[in-house]
Amino acid sequence: MITRQFGSEVRWMLRRPRTLIGLFGLILVPIIISFGIWTAGSDEGGGGPPGLGAILQGNGMVVPIFTLFLSLNLLLPLVASIWAADGLAGEAQHGTLRGLLVAPVSRVRLLFVKLFGLTAMSLFAVTLMAVVGIIAGTAFLGTDGMMTLSGTTLSFAEGLLRIGLFILLVTFQMVAIGAVALAVSSTTEHPLVVQAATMTTIIVFQVLGQFSSLDWLHPFLITTGFPGLIDVMRDPIPLGQIGDSTLLAGCYLLIGTGLAAMRLITKDS
Amino acid sequence: MNKRKVTLVAAATGVITGVAGLSLLAMPAGAGQPPSLPDVSAESLVQQVLTSKPGAFGGTVEVDNKLGLPAISQIPQLADGKHSARIWTDGNGKFRAALPNGQSEQTIVNDGKTTWSWNSQDNEVTKAEHKDEPKAEKPAQAESVDPATAAKQVVELTREFSEISVDGTARVANRAAYELVLTPKASEKTLIREVRIAVDSELKMPLRVAVLTNGTAEPAGTVGFSEINVGPQDPKLFEFTPPAQAKVTTPEAKESEQGRDRRPELGLEQALQGKDPQFFGTGWDTVVGARIPAEAMTQVPAEAQGLVDKFTKKVSGAWGSGQVFTTKVATILIADDGRVVAGAVPEQVLFDTIGHVK
Repeated sequence: MITRQFGSEVRWMLRRPRTLIGLFGLILVPIIISFGIWTAGSDEGGGGPPGLGAILQGNGMVVPIFTLFLSLNLLLPLVASIWAADGLAGEAQHGTLRGLLVAPVSRVRLLFVKLFGLTAMSLFAVTLMAVVGIIAGTAFLGTDGMMTLSGTTLSFAEGLLRIGLFILLVTFQMVAIGAVALAVSSTTEHPLVVQAATMTTIIVFQVLGQFSSLDWLHPFLITTGFPGLIDVMRDPIPLGQIGDSTLLAGCYLLIGTGLAAMRLITKDS
Repeated sequence: MNKRKVTLVAAATGVITGVAGLSLLAMPAGAGQPPSLPDVSAESLVQQVLTSKPGAFGGTVEVDNKLGLPAISQIPQLADGKHSARIWTDGNGKFRAALPNGQSEQTIVNDGKTTWSWNSQDNEVTKAEHKDEPKAEKPAQAESVDPATAAKQVVELTREFSEISVDGTARVANRAAYELVLTPKASEKTLIREVRIAVDSELKMPLRVAVLTNGTAEPAGTVGFSEINVGPQDPKLFEFTPPAQAKVTTPEAKESEQGRDRRPELGLEQALQGKDPQFFGTGWDTVVGARIPAEAMTQVPAEAQGLVDKFTKKVSGAWGSGQVFTTKVATILIADDGRVVAGAVPEQVLFDTIGHVK
């Protein structure tokens, strides 16, 4: 029963034209990055970008990780907020949420179906970006395994494992943001409000993260956990920061889901 | 109706758990209860520290630095603030250190024959083959982040000039440790109030070093393990193969390359460690003196001079005039005629000493 609802939710999401356009936009990112690094490489020198970008040259397997790492700051939260906005506020706008709320289905179950749709689509989008990243990266930049930030070279299989781990970590961050967006989504009938609120929050968090005078606040911001995820590219992997970031996102997931559930339960049909 | 209430409570509990989790994550990790250990005399503990031979271990070192040093480009890890590094050693001279710097990383590997130094920022490997000496020294950069080595040196150099005591116990990196405290004797004219060294109760290996200066309760600098696992390490860690795309250079080539775009601090560096440094005094208030060659003094470009002026204070006295650079634990006095003195002492001691520099 619940699996059928899960399936139909994902089918609904995939049928929306904006989802398809969004996914198409997402796969352009790794292609553009690979192409950019490839053209920059042909004219030799000129100092590469800082951080992970510096080891991209001739190291195509890093493209998916670099792409997701960059996109996590704005693009992926945006995508998560769109799906969360469509999930409840969008349905409310079209008047279809009323039907769902009076239906003999528990509202908590309704929330879990929405959350599942969000998770499935996030995982799908992130994996899609990674796969396109691997293909574009190896095509443009070539590959002899995967070079890490520690200067070691991983085999193709080990590289795939790292990419897989990173996909899961990034998806979890997206779902946490999406859960909070779902909570906002349950309070309004305007999907745009949800998107604007989520993106404003993410941007404000990142700005707050820049001020060292506010460092007592930083451990509470979900965006503080983003840079630490790059530890996936160190060898051996230090688990401290990755664990902290994931726990931080887990707290947001709990808060978002809890608030959304409370709102849905008390909502008049 | 009742069921609705139950779900509502469950949802609220979820929210509260999330908020509680956030605050828990934000709280700094508490030190926990100090362990109770059998008493040990300070004298025997010092002996054990000096004779202990740390075996193989791997761990994460946290450096908390409030010294007030300007950032040095080669060792960004030593700039003010909190930094971490991961180190591994097999106990027989093989060594690996990973020094993360933002999103890039510097890796130093000593595989027994060669010391490799990799920097992800410029995709470059420096390869230094050990010539004759079978046991090469650890690179200075790697050494500066290893609390065990640093603490041993401090104890060795200063034990004669200090009151040594054991001040309770502490838990460092989840291991029980004694707090060994070295306090400079009253006759020592130093900025340093005390150095606290947490010594592992089993291995007698220093796990944490904290330097406290006069007039502050917080340590000016702390180097310590936040995590350590003692025992044999993966031998693969002590191997290094340069990545296919990386540029491999030797230290000699690197030096000549640096010589071309010569930086002003090199002159000072060479003067302080290179040509016959002169030592004045003993113990904590030892002062190192040197003379920068006149041509090195005039080579300082104008913009670097501006930087120097920003960090220093102009002073003058019977000895002449110059600039003094003060950090919490050390003072450096550079006279206009090229004489340099430095030490963990107040500036007055430097004014008194500089006249002796030849």
